[in-house]
Amino acid sequence: MVTKRQLGIFVLIVSLVGIAGLISVDLLGAGEWGGFGPLQRLGIGLGLGGAAVGLILIRLGDRPA
Amino acid sequence: MTLSAPRILRGLAVLLAVMAVVAYVGYLVVYVSYAVELFRWPYDYDQGEGFELHDAVLYSRGEWPYRDNGTFPFYASNYPPLFHLLMVPLLPIFGPRLIAGRLLSFIATLITAGAIGVIVRRTIRGDGRDWMRAWFIPLISGLAFLASNYVYQIGPLCRMHMTLVMFETLSIAFIGEFEDPRHGRRNLILGLVMLFFAGYTKQTAVFTVAAALSYVFLRDVRKALVAGAGLAVSAGAVFWLINVATDGQWWINIIQANVNEFDYRQTLFLFRQWFDLHALFVVLGVGYLVYELFWDRISAYSLWFFFALGVGALSGKWGAGFGYFNTAVAAACLTSGLALGKVREHLEGRALSAPGLGVVARDVGPLVAVLIPMLYLAQAPRMLHLPTSGPIFSTAAQVLGVDDQLAYGQGESLASTHCAAVAYHDAMGYTQLGHPLSEEDYAAGEQIMAHVGAVDGPIFSEEAMFSILGEKPVVTNPTQLLNLYNNGLLDTTEMIEQINEQVFDLVIFRAQFYPAPVLEAIGQHYEPMDQVCMNGFTYHLLSPRDRGDG
Repeated sequence: MVTKRQLGIFVLIVSLVGIAGLISVDLLGAGEWGGFGPLQRLGIGLGLGGAAVGLILIRLGDRPA
Repeated sequence: MTLSAPRILRGLAVLLAVMAVVAYVGYLVVYVSYAVELFRWPYDYDQGEGFELHDAVLYSRGEWPYRDNGTFPFYASNYPPLFHLLMVPLLPIFGPRLIAGRLLSFIATLITAGAIGVIVRRTIRGDGRDWMRAWFIPLISGLAFLASNYVYQIGPLCRMHMTLVMFETLSIAFIGEFEDPRHGRRNLILGLVMLFFAGYTKQTAVFTVAAALSYVFLRDVRKALVAGAGLAVSAGAVFWLINVATDGQWWINIIQANVNEFDYRQTLFLFRQWFDLHALFVVLGVGYLVYELFWDRISAYSLWFFFALGVGALSGKWGAGFGYFNTAVAAACLTSGLALGKVREHLEGRALSAPGLGVVARDVGPLVAVLIPMLYLAQAPRMLHLPTSGPIFSTAAQVLGVDDQLAYGQGESLASTHCAAVAYHDAMGYTQLGHPLSEEDYAAGEQIMAHVGAVDGPIFSEEAMFSILGEKPVVTNPTQLLNLYNNGLLDTTEMIEQINEQVFDLVIFRAQFYPAPVLEAIGQHYEPMDQVCMNGFTYHLLSPRDRGDG
């Protein structure tokens, strides 16, 4: 059985990896930085939301997910 | 005897509940009317229906529809086989006619609606003494699915979308009860079987597979790993066998060909439209997900709702559309019913007090009983869709004030892509589906078939039914050809050779979704012969340019 904390850790990691991926897409294309496009902004917004959900779930501890 | 406030509220709740049932049953009447219209219509109503029927015909002959698109008849299917296989037993009854698939799809929507109602009822009914939880909310949850503009428009088409949603809903119904002490093992196996069926109906079932296995994983990691492995092995084995049997054409046609251009703006537009049309169900579904995430245990239903949004996210793919949201509609109707049931259960018998005012109500139950049907009634007009012709519907459209707000516009406001108005209003605004057919449409179909019957050789038709009804080979699946061409997977040499040699005695275009070189070749060797307005679309008929018999 998975707990809220474990689920929260998973959601947090996925969200942070997603945000990192969206940022690195531009960073890896060196010299081509044109700012975040609308899709990236949307993705980062969702990633931040996911990270917030993950943090809350972590605080809920060992309750069953 | 004086009437107390609770008694008045209970009476009002019953009245509002009856009104809500009337409203949603009204949508059911509109839906059945539309379905009957389509059962009578012999031609493609939505581009692609004839090809799905043709796939069933090929299976009935023991042939695979996954073929090399570069050789005559330049045809292959881009969908998994189950919907088409389910049609095969109906072909001896109806013949190679679209009613076989349309009836199947329509029944699938009824089964889905019933499953939604059953799931909601079994989850929220409690001891069965509360009529609202025992039957009203489950009934409206199921009817709401059929009232959805998206489900209405696609439901009775010879397309696989609604059969997919049926299998997905049934899988979640079983998986949601995999921990049942008596029938848990059976439910898990049946749920996995339904997931297998869903996957072999349409590829987007992968999101429901993820939802179902995630739920099992949250509850029982070992069972999830075993179930997932079993599903992967069985589905993978079948996948591999079909690929071997079709010399790799299965992989090319259902996986590689479906990698299309993506427009995120189309996705955003459709999400916004989906929310506008189904606002109550979406808000309640999201609320229920949040509630379970932080205050309760996550159910299979909330997980399904969450993952179904993933299917919606794919709707920006070229060739996709609002049909990608039908799973999310089913999940939203289901979870919204659960949410209202939870609200009703928790607030029944509870007092309401306010700071400084003390106890405002000794029991908010009657207030909630009034609120629930009010919410359903407020939601109902958001999904408004109905024909605007005929003695009953024209009157209803006039009363509702939408008799002059037609889907294609009319007169000077007629959409430029259409040749005729249609007698149909939809809260979506413009939509190509949902409208009834007219006598002029039937006459136009006969006019086109007269041209088909006047030629001896094969025809190059963008819609399959003209070929099937004319007992000619089905040549090309245009959107599949375009997908393959855009992915560099189509050799057009033989096709263009045959066009250049004017092998085809007639070309029938509607949207002209063909690779550019094919259109160029047709333009060089075929000339316009007739234009027919049918179903609001202009069909262009072309005949071979002077063949130079001398």
